[in-house]
Amino acid sequence: MIEKVIERVKELLEGGEIKGFVGLCNKNGHTAPYLFTEVAELDHLVVGDFQNPGDARYPLNKLLIDLYRAYPEEKFGVLVRGCDERGLNDLYVWNQLTPKNVVAVGIPCPQELADACGCPKPYPDNSVAEPIAEGAEAQDLIRMEALGVKERFTQWMEVFSKCIKCYGCRDICPMCFCKECSLELDELIPRGEMPPEIPIFHLVRAVHMAGRCIDCGLCNEACPVDIPLRTLYKKVGDIVYRKFNYRPGFDKGKSPLNVLENK
Amino acid sequence: MTNSVDEFELSDCIFITGSNTTSSHPIVATRILRAKKKGAKIIVADPRRVHIADLADLYVSHRLGTDVALLNGIMYVILDKGWENRAFIEERTEGFEEFEKVIKDYPPEKVAEITGVAEKDIETIAHWYATAERGSIAYCMGITQHTTGVDNVKTLANLAMLTGHIGREGTGVNPLRGQNNVQGACDMGGLPNVYPGYQPVTQFQIKEKFESAWGAQLSDKVGLTIPEMTSGLLEGSMKAVYIVGENPLLSDPDASHVEEALKRAELVVVQDIFMTPTAELAHVILPAACFAEKDGTVTNTERRVMRTRKALDPPGEAKTDWEIIADLSNRMGYPMDYSSAEEIMREIASLTPSYGGITYERLEGEGLQWPCPTKDHPGTRFLHKDRFVRGKGLFHAIEFKPPAESTDDEFPLWLTTGRLYFHFHTGTMTRKSGALTGEIDEQYVELNPEDASQLGISTGDEILLTSRRGQIRAKALVTDRMKKGEVFASFHFVESNANILTNPAFDPIVKIPEYKVCAVRVEKAAS
Amino acid sequence: MEFKTVLTVCPYCGCGCNFYLEVLDGKVIGTIPCKTSPVNEGKLCIKGWNVHEFIQDPDRLTMPLIRENGSFREAGWDEALDLVASKLKKIKEQHGPDSIGLFASAKITNEENYVIQKFARAVIGTNNVDHCARL
Ligand code: SF4
Ligand code: SF4
Ligand code: SF4
Repeated sequence: MIEKVIERVKELLEGGEIKGFVGLCNKNGHTAPYLFTEVAELDHLVVGDFQNPGDARYPLNKLLIDLYRAYPEEKFGVLVRGCDERGLNDLYVWNQLTPKNVVAVGIPCPQELADACGCPKPYPDNSVAEPIAEGAEAQDLIRMEALGVKERFTQWMEVFSKCIKCYGCRDICPMCFCKECSLELDELIPRGEMPPEIPIFHLVRAVHMAGRCIDCGLCNEACPVDIPLRTLYKKVGDIVYRKFNYRPGFDKGKSPLNVLENK
Repeated sequence: MTNSVDEFELSDCIFITGSNTTSSHPIVATRILRAKKKGAKIIVADPRRVHIADLADLYVSHRLGTDVALLNGIMYVILDKGWENRAFIEERTEGFEEFEKVIKDYPPEKVAEITGVAEKDIETIAHWYATAERGSIAYCMGITQHTTGVDNVKTLANLAMLTGHIGREGTGVNPLRGQNNVQGACDMGGLPNVYPGYQPVTQFQIKEKFESAWGAQLSDKVGLTIPEMTSGLLEGSMKAVYIVGENPLLSDPDASHVEEALKRAELVVVQDIFMTPTAELAHVILPAACFAEKDGTVTNTERRVMRTRKALDPPGEAKTDWEIIADLSNRMGYPMDYSSAEEIMREIASLTPSYGGITYERLEGEGLQWPCPTKDHPGTRFLHKDRFVRGKGLFHAIEFKPPAESTDDEFPLWLTTGRLYFHFHTGTMTRKSGALTGEIDEQYVELNPEDASQLGISTGDEILLTSRRGQIRAKALVTDRMKKGEVFASFHFVESNANILTNPAFDPIVKIPEYKVCAVRVEKAAS
Repeated sequence: MEFKTVLTVCPYCGCGCNFYLEVLDGKVIGTIPCKTSPVNEGKLCIKGWNVHEFIQDPDRLTMPLIRENGSFREAGWDEALDLVASKLKKIKEQHGPDSIGLFASAKITNEENYVIQKFARAVIGTNNVDHCARL
């Protein structure tokens, strides 16, 4: 598969179609987010499998947005998995990127990763290869739903109490792009307090991501105290889907919840 | 640290003392909380109810400065119940009899009296830690910054040896280093008594080795520590100080004393990235490159040597610290013609046995944990595996000594100092960050609700905090994280510097100042 | 256009988290935690996440400064270092090497600490070198 990615990117770079390709690179003995601008560099391209499939994924769309803001006329390529492609679709809707500036090079995820993510669609529509895994159920969510309400509440309060207010869940999120972040509104969540007030801090973010979270799981992986944030946002996404029949990145159009956005 | 950070995940009992871990070493807390999730018992002993205390299985709040008494009490129970590790004590240690005699004087009743910790809690700590398969200790400045700092650390080592919780994965006595390269600065001989790799300046063969490598006559007289240099300036025996990347005016105790010392110096050179209060007193200020503007290595709290890499050019005329010193050295007639940081590392490796196998090439990827003596040595995850550096581990018989200062009618409260989560050290870097100053950007003195109501103070009130050395103005934060009789302030804020108040009484051996406890008075400020 | 991601180590606490600095056309625009780091596994605290904010602060020192009549004036490296060199030499001659002290630092690299202590010991001739480890 990696050969196919390299082949495709080579084509794009050589043909001058893109200015650069936002992907992952084996550098300094690590998997690094990286902008490829020369064909020669492609020897070092990797897809983010370190010890397990997909465990070295990065918010590449976020890097892409940074580049787009500085060079709105240029076109860039970007490596996407299923979730990232959903992210692109939604970022177009929110005018954070435009399709004419982006060439997505998609890769399907292996079953192992799809299962770990509980991902409903572990492949992009636009891909260098056929899907190799089927959509998986979110086991964590099912386990949590099986608990009684009281128990659920206690468990969430317990994990929230570990929060160190690093804002990493927001900072890593490819779908967080608000100029003013509700998490920093003093009236809502008093600033300077550590640990932050719970559960308000986490609920504010959960509500805010409703209709926007594309379920990539990067926040979960960035949380220093292992709060199962992805499960929480899956739940919120689930509610939105059931009430409004809308899933960000899958379905066209803006989130029915966009009244919540302070854009 | 004797062990690696990820080994906390393997422990089944972690005893944390004098460390506000989630706040000051968040990424260490990550591992500790994972251990808890896997079923490990977490014990926190701290005068302040810090965040991690809320997450612990057992939290005890001993009185400020009573660490030795608490630990001796725990060891009394261990011996009393026969939970000690006899095999380990016999094979790997010495000095046990002497030590045991002292411990006999610390029955729980007496210790409860001194520390304010309930007898049954002392027993629980002893039980959990001693009977764990792998017990681990994590501590920080709350242990070291006392006149009895060395006693405190040795007492923790006693506890680990008594139970055999050392020299194995997931065990150990683990100091959490406060600054990014404290470990490296020590390793590199940034200390008055040792060359790089802790090779004593007083040893003849060592001195000869460095004399021939450096082509210079060297002194075998142990040098002065920072507090001694300060006193030297005040007395007039010291004339010049060259300060690189430090801000002693904020970080040292009794700041007005330091200010006076620097004013008396004939020459003060400060090399830094920002204009600091210390730099304001310099005769010459030299602009340095910051971490993002240079190649090099740093060594973290688990002895892991890692590469830092240049991302940007320094602003204006600023240069890296090594370039400036090398240039100065050339001008003083001693040629230093390094062409890169890597070349310096080659020299370090050639003279420092524990760094002998370290090269930039090998540091790609995960880095290397010293000791790493040879080019094919994989580095060392945990120390003291089969033996201690000195051969046998030595028990120290240590008696409890109260803090250097005492409270009285005029100064009835105890002040302890430390860091806030949102800032770092003297604030020179973090106070330039909008994200961090947006959280908090002024001094809040934390005090207990009972003390506050007696003084008629509520959160947000302007207060004056006074010690026998000085006074600062700050806002009050009333919180039950403090217990009655104790208050907390940080040293991040120059305009309200807690170190104007702290006591420059030093530990007699390693000269750590007693930041963690001094007597103060709090009153509402006239508006 | 130049866009780089440079792997380095957090300058704050002793955890030593690894992250990439995102550099676009000579400006640091962001921090991305390194997922493959054995230390922080893709996590950071709030200080690490915001480290890029101070690097290019306009208050950074950019020129050597020499005190003159109670205030500072800018100087070139030659002037500043010659001045320091001559003063250090004079003090060493008059009062001996032990009248001079150096503060190494817990915030700079190993290589730099090495060079500072070597300077103290080999050039000045004193073991008066210490840093803030205790503080
Ligand atoms: S899973 Fe987390 S990081 Fe990913 S889009 Fe949702 S909130 Fe953002
Ligand atoms: S990443 Fe985790 S610890 Fe950090 S703010 Fe989010 S929930 Fe809290
Ligand atoms: S990111 Fe936070 S925890 Fe990690 S080294 Fe920096 S200050 Fe320490």
